[in-house]
Amino acid sequence: MQRKLGREFQYSILIIPALIFYVLFCVYPFLTMFYYSVTDYSVAQMTNLSFIGFENYTKVFDNDLLMAGFKNSLLYAILMTVFQTALGIILAVFLDRKLATKNILRSVFFLPAVFSPLVIGFLWNYLMSTSDFGLINRGLNGLGLDKINFLGDANLALYSVVLTQLWQWTGWAMVIFLANLQGISKDLYEAAEIDGASSWKKFWKVTLPLLQPSVNVVAVTAMIGGLKVFDIIMALTDGGPGNSTQTIMTAYIKTSFTEGAYNEGAASGVVFFVVVMIITLVMMKLLGKWGRNIQ
Amino acid sequence: MIKRRRAGQIGVELMMIVLAAIFFIPVFYLFVTTFKTPDEATLHPMSLPENWSFANYKVAWDVMQFPHVLLNTLIVTVTSVGCIIIFSSMAAYGLARRNHGFHRVLFYLFLAGMMVPFQMGLVSLYKLIMGLGIMDSLWSVIVVNIGSGCVIAIFLFHSFIHSAVPLELEEAAFIDGCSVWGTFWKIAFPLLTPVIATVAIVTTLNVWNDFMNPLLFLQSREHNVILLEVFRNIGQFSVDWTNLFPMLLLGVSPLLIFYLFMQKYMIKGVAAGALKG
Repeated sequence: MQRKLGREFQYSILIIPALIFYVLFCVYPFLTMFYYSVTDYSVAQMTNLSFIGFENYTKVFDNDLLMAGFKNSLLYAILMTVFQTALGIILAVFLDRKLATKNILRSVFFLPAVFSPLVIGFLWNYLMSTSDFGLINRGLNGLGLDKINFLGDANLALYSVVLTQLWQWTGWAMVIFLANLQGISKDLYEAAEIDGASSWKKFWKVTLPLLQPSVNVVAVTAMIGGLKVFDIIMALTDGGPGNSTQTIMTAYIKTSFTEGAYNEGAASGVVFFVVVMIITLVMMKLLGKWGRNIQ
Repeated sequence: MIKRRRAGQIGVELMMIVLAAIFFIPVFYLFVTTFKTPDEATLHPMSLPENWSFANYKVAWDVMQFPHVLLNTLIVTVTSVGCIIIFSSMAAYGLARRNHGFHRVLFYLFLAGMMVPFQMGLVSLYKLIMGLGIMDSLWSVIVVNIGSGCVIAIFLFHSFIHSAVPLELEEAAFIDGCSVWGTFWKIAFPLLTPVIATVAIVTTLNVWNDFMNPLLFLQSREHNVILLEVFRNIGQFSVDWTNLFPMLLLGVSPLLIFYLFMQKYMIKGVAAGALKG
């Protein structure tokens, strides 16, 4: 009995190092954020914090920077989720055929996912520029079309950011769909062919339902990653023009660290947490429903 | 019928090759521009360079203090990824083999990390890093990486241990008087090799490309990592843009070289990490 208890204890000890790092640097800062969000914690008031109620939360909803961040992040995340999933599936379905150049094509499409979004951002800053070295606008000019001010036009800038990120991450989604497709038995397709199903019908009735596990993963990852987008914005637009590409993370960091309003930043963090949880739960519910409909 | 299908197949292949070529243009453009003068780059942006001059690289290399920032990035990545693999595999083993009561609660606590946006605690994290006295030291980034990187790693190790590491061997080891610690390292850990590779690939990509933590926690140039140096230089030298491109390419070169040689494993690792996570 003594030995048995000892052994149980030994299993617990194995968990401790990971638990310390996780609790100290993820869970604890996250939980204390709730506390700071109702205090007067700021650059001007670093110690002796006092409780000031929910004032910071009203400030969050009156803050144009933060509100623009919420709106843009939401739009960005939805666009990324939809297009990354759809384009990733299309690429994967084509590459899943017996192509001679399949492996090279896969490597080329995946390549941008290896790079840091920061570097990708600086590169696309030049590609999308309206000046002499803007490659895309030179191409448009060559075709006799007008220049497009991708990053300088407040109505376009966010969509331009989405474009660069689709270029970067569609290959990543494709790789995950491909891995899923390779696990699908060829018998199912043969059976569908005997029934006289067209390629189109085979895609909707066989391929797509069986892709459900990878659609789950890609959609949820794209959504959560999209809501947290930061690096690419810093490199492409720094939130501008105006606040048109400000995201939750850029607005949060500007409010907290540039303006020094830690408490307001913390309150926006709490709001963000609630938004993320609601979106994630709704999405999982929808995806789960789809999964059950298939079976 | 068969002939038509073959023609269709060739059509799809050609279409995909054209698409991949268009996809590749930005990377090609980045590469060829690093060898050009500003004039040449403006006149013939897409052509191969007239002479393959490494002058731009020399400037970028010196301005960035490339060996120095590369070393810093390597220290951060190797330490973070090493600790994540060791701590997470240990924890996942403890959680997988005793999956009830308190252990079950802890497992869900780790699992919550997959969804909860912990970045939003940055305000408190900043205060904590200052309080620990590790602000502007590589340790600040390393410890945060370990904390956040453990989540996905534990999840991957946990599902692998559950499905692919047999209990029988461990039982035999216990009968021989082996401790849990000894059994883990001698019997379970060696069996984890495939998933260790997956975790290493996924976390290396995350840690190497992380920009937010270095931006907040590393201030002095002495402790810069590659991305931070790129970010700070681009702001200052935005005029001579042909010198910036070698900086960008140098910034991604270590991962790019790794990818060129290990692409098959990397793609496999990323897919496995996502589908099992």
